[in-house]
Amino acid sequence: MANIAIIGVGNVGANTAFFIAEKNIGSVVMYDIQDGLAQGKALDMMEAAPIRGYQYGISGTNSVDDVADASVTVVAAGTVREPGTKRDDLFTKNAEIIDGIAQSMKGYAGTVVIATEPVDLMVMRFQEKSGLDASRVVGLGGVLDSTRLRYALSRELGITTENITATVVGRHSDQMMPLVDYSRVNGVPVSTLMDEVHLAQVLDETRNAGDLIVEMSQRSSSFYGPSAAAADVVQAIVWDTKRILPVSFVWDGQYGIAGVAMSLPTVLGFTGIERVLEPKLSQDQVQNLKTSADELTSIYAKA
Amino acid sequence: MSKVSVIGAGNVGATAVYYIAEKNIADIVMVDVVPGMPQGKAADFMHAAPSRNYNIKIVGSNDYAEIADSDVVVMTAGMARKPGMDRMDLLKTNVNIAKQAAQAIATYAPNALVIAVSNPLDVISMVTLKESGFALKRVVGMAGILDSTRFRYFIAEKLKVLPQDVMAMVLGGHGDTMVPLPRYTSVAGFPLTELLDSATIEQLVDRTRKGGAEIVSYLKKGSAYYAPAASVAKMVEAMIKDEKRFVAASAYLRGEYGHRDIFLGVPVLLGRNGVEKIYELDLTEQEQTALDGSADAVQEGVKTLESIYTPG
Repeated sequence: MANIAIIGVGNVGANTAFFIAEKNIGSVVMYDIQDGLAQGKALDMMEAAPIRGYQYGISGTNSVDDVADASVTVVAAGTVREPGTKRDDLFTKNAEIIDGIAQSMKGYAGTVVIATEPVDLMVMRFQEKSGLDASRVVGLGGVLDSTRLRYALSRELGITTENITATVVGRHSDQMMPLVDYSRVNGVPVSTLMDEVHLAQVLDETRNAGDLIVEMSQRSSSFYGPSAAAADVVQAIVWDTKRILPVSFVWDGQYGIAGVAMSLPTVLGFTGIERVLEPKLSQDQVQNLKTSADELTSIYAKA
Repeated sequence: MSKVSVIGAGNVGATAVYYIAEKNIADIVMVDVVPGMPQGKAADFMHAAPSRNYNIKIVGSNDYAEIADSDVVVMTAGMARKPGMDRMDLLKTNVNIAKQAAQAIATYAPNALVIAVSNPLDVISMVTLKESGFALKRVVGMAGILDSTRFRYFIAEKLKVLPQDVMAMVLGGHGDTMVPLPRYTSVAGFPLTELLDSATIEQLVDRTRKGGAEIVSYLKKGSAYYAPAASVAKMVEAMIKDEKRFVAASAYLRGEYGHRDIFLGVPVLLGRNGVEKIYELDLTEQEQTALDGSADAVQEGVKTLESIYTPG
């Protein structure tokens, strides 16, 4: 019986299983509606186990009942973007898929990690349709955005990524809010090591990182970054590490905003979100969050 | 495969070898004066190779010639601090050990980077530099990274978060006058000052200053080695893999932070060329005063050194 379930075995789902296996985080069961796809990928990975030293099993299934016992379920089902499209264009199509999964997971005792785009809207949808507690439904938004910011800062500063923390909050779109004051190199604010012009370029690059990959690869959206972010969130939850990661969840009054999902730094443990940390924001930044929240609310109402 | 030599196969040296081996970072030579001891430990390590998947070689020797062509040499030889003993008490014994080692490094491993570990650290680093005749950036002392890792752990324990999420900067000499900088310490990017009140921070700072002594008081007959060895391994890895790692380490200053001709803990960039850069952070008057005080304490140690020191 696996303790991590992955629903949807496309590029993000399969690579999330792969990263989880590589780090020996726990046993994985992959589910997909396409007959044999999950089983085939699981078998392929297990045949690499003797070489890669996997300590846990990976299996595939076409029965959604097999995911019910997992402590964490990653939802990576749905379609992905094509060049020239925005994340929000996927909403109607993916909402139907999310609805089906959410309904089958009513009363689920574990934590759900949503990777499906547009992620903030899918978190809202999944939480509404499943009825799970908001602390149990988290989305990859800020984790991925902050990972991308860490990479860009590392490259520009010539300092290893491991030294760099970055915080990106808000909506997973070009409205995301990289927080310079909460981004540091071994504790030292990045603004003391980098001039403003450079920093602005890095922030721009981060905002457009997802679009850039879609444009570059033409035939697929990004999946290594999102899968790594998913595996990181899974590890924090399954191992109860109390790691602080910015994930998307349905807010209940943060900065005066409620009923909308966006990313904020959270302490993650076995019960999902155990604590939310609120960075100090300027009035402009709070206003920016409110604009994002209003937009999300109006798109959400359309479906 | 790169080569790392560890001089002194005591607790710090042997545990550093363990961490380096576990990550397959480089072939390792352990050198110690005690006959058979480094050979025995090296053989013991190699017996674990099949179950731990080591694909590096570990060799023990009593002969410095074995360190030939090392990429990095770690100097851990010296007496460990005993309960009630000040770091300065160790000076005379350890200076002589360091002199011999530095001369051997210059002879057999003339292209190596050297990490000084023995205490008093900032003084031993100076001896190593003088005796090896190496370029300034090739000699560095392991201190700030250990002091920082302790401070990080204490903060994580207090806030009940993962230690990995805490980053901290501790400058100054590796002694009671070290300068932890709460302003340059963060938890997942949050400034520490937003998460803890100043009294609690001061308490953790104080515990960090006495971090080494806290372990000694528990162990009675020995001092810390797991955290020091982990810090050494981190520095070795940064050099071998050319990581460009931003850490606090004891580096030779030429005017940075207003000090010169002294080894002092400052933020540096570690890579294949050793100390590739020294970063000068903005300090408040209070922080600068604390750093000056720390430098004075190191300088005093260096003066004592000069009184007992005959080069060559």
